[in-house]
Amino acid sequence: MITQAIMDGLINGGIIGLGAIGVTLTYSILRFANFGHGELLSWGAYVALSLSAALGALLPSLSTPIGPFSFGWSVPIALIGSMILTALLALTVDWLLFGRLRRSGSAIIILVMASFGAALALRNLLEFIYTSKPAYFTNALQISKPLFGGMRATPDQLLVLGLAVVTVVLVHLLLTRTPAGRAMRAVSENAQLAALTGIDVRNVIRLVWILGAALAAVAGVMSGLLVQIRPTMGLDLLLPLFAASILGGIGSVPGAMLAGLIVGLAEALTVQVIGAEWRAAVAFVILVAVLLLRPNGLFGKAPA
Amino acid sequence: MRSEILKLQGLVSGYQPDLPIIQGVDLSVGEGELVVMLGPNGAGKSTLVKTIAGLVPVHSGRVFLAGADLTDVPTHRKMRQGLGFVPQTENIFATMSIRENLQLAAQVLPKAHRAARIDAMLAMFPDLAARQSTRSGALSGGQRQMLACARALIVEPQILILDEPSAGLSPKMVSEVFEQLVRINASGVTTILVEQNVKAGLQIASRGVILVEGRVAHDAPADGLLGDPVVSELYLGGHKKEEVTA
Repeated sequence: MITQAIMDGLINGGIIGLGAIGVTLTYSILRFANFGHGELLSWGAYVALSLSAALGALLPSLSTPIGPFSFGWSVPIALIGSMILTALLALTVDWLLFGRLRRSGSAIIILVMASFGAALALRNLLEFIYTSKPAYFTNALQISKPLFGGMRATPDQLLVLGLAVVTVVLVHLLLTRTPAGRAMRAVSENAQLAALTGIDVRNVIRLVWILGAALAAVAGVMSGLLVQIRPTMGLDLLLPLFAASILGGIGSVPGAMLAGLIVGLAEALTVQVIGAEWRAAVAFVILVAVLLLRPNGLFGKAPA
Repeated sequence: MRSEILKLQGLVSGYQPDLPIIQGVDLSVGEGELVVMLGPNGAGKSTLVKTIAGLVPVHSGRVFLAGADLTDVPTHRKMRQGLGFVPQTENIFATMSIRENLQLAAQVLPKAHRAARIDAMLAMFPDLAARQSTRSGALSGGQRQMLACARALIVEPQILILDEPSAGLSPKMVSEVFEQLVRINASGVTTILVEQNVKAGLQIASRGVILVEGRVAHDAPADGLLGDPVVSELYLGGHKKEEVTA
């Protein structure tokens, strides 16, 4: 049973890790905790759901399941569309709200409170459009298959875990090996010096929104594939996302992913050992413990 | 007659709209000059160079670089148009390696020129070349200044502005940094240096500008300022008066 809890924890942790990367990037570069990030996951899932349904209606063959998976090509295609549209949504919110507050020199706490407001608006808009009734990418049932050591997983679950790992590696390479990634790290460390080095900080901020929102869309679709799609799915994931981004160390992509896996495992093991009613408390306990014992997290850098 | 690289025209600036720190500065810097900017604490030396770089809002007046009006141009574009600026503190990316700092600065250049410019900087600063993969935060104060200069010079600026590069350095390090600045200037880079160390600054400069209360109080060849008994009394360890007249 414990080994199965480990597998469940790793799968859920992969989704948390992907979402936490977006949180950690916006936190390190925009310098505020964006409590609206969870809503980008929800929007990403719903946009993909709509696109997938539209594609399936136009070309029914796209709904035919691919190999052992529960979904057809309409879902991966819709995921790409959703990444683009969710990024546009994030840029729009920044243009309408956060960008204006930054330009007027608003304090960090104002930006944080604004993110609460944005989260409420986005969540309620989603509920208004789609209702609060749960939705699914597919109605197909998947039987989990035995792996090793008593662990079982469905093909969809294994795909999600693999995709999470691949995505993290790609984001890590983007940040460490490309000019855009170097510019993002530079703005994260010292925005004024980055500008003095010829970096257009506003472009970097746009890039961070695009990347964070696209990853949120991927995490939202993954969560929707494995569980269900609800307007509150992002809100439910918010605390684990923040716990993972702080445990991993603000600004660290590998840290966010590793911490996401740790939070996912801790939640799964808590459900197994203590009881499901304690699951929600795990992320909170991790968050408080990290802030008290190791505020810079696993891979965060202490202020110079 | 040297051609004019930098021209400030009636410049008034400050962090708050109703509280100007720079109060009408006119200044012209010719190609190849090494100008040291001096003055008592609070005179506005750092504010003036930060205004030139676009880090402090301009209330009125203009900033020209090689004839182009850069007053309202954002900082990152000023740097791309030939202005190099080395801040007094936090002037390198401490979490990046030496090479990454240089790669970052070079990425505004055309791709074909980047590697050559990084190599040129490593040749100019051999201390840095020997430890390219070292995390910059681990460097000594003097090495940090060298890296900060290399970061600014990599794009071949028309003018290099340094805000108190000797601050916090040991006398030996100050000598090394100043020797390097002389070499940089001798290579043809027009240089403006904000300095608290008046004597050392005037010794390497071709010209000295003394700011007092946000205005230019003295603007003369460095040799003349070094030998000027009034300036000497005011700024070289003599009695410090409340006001200076031009």
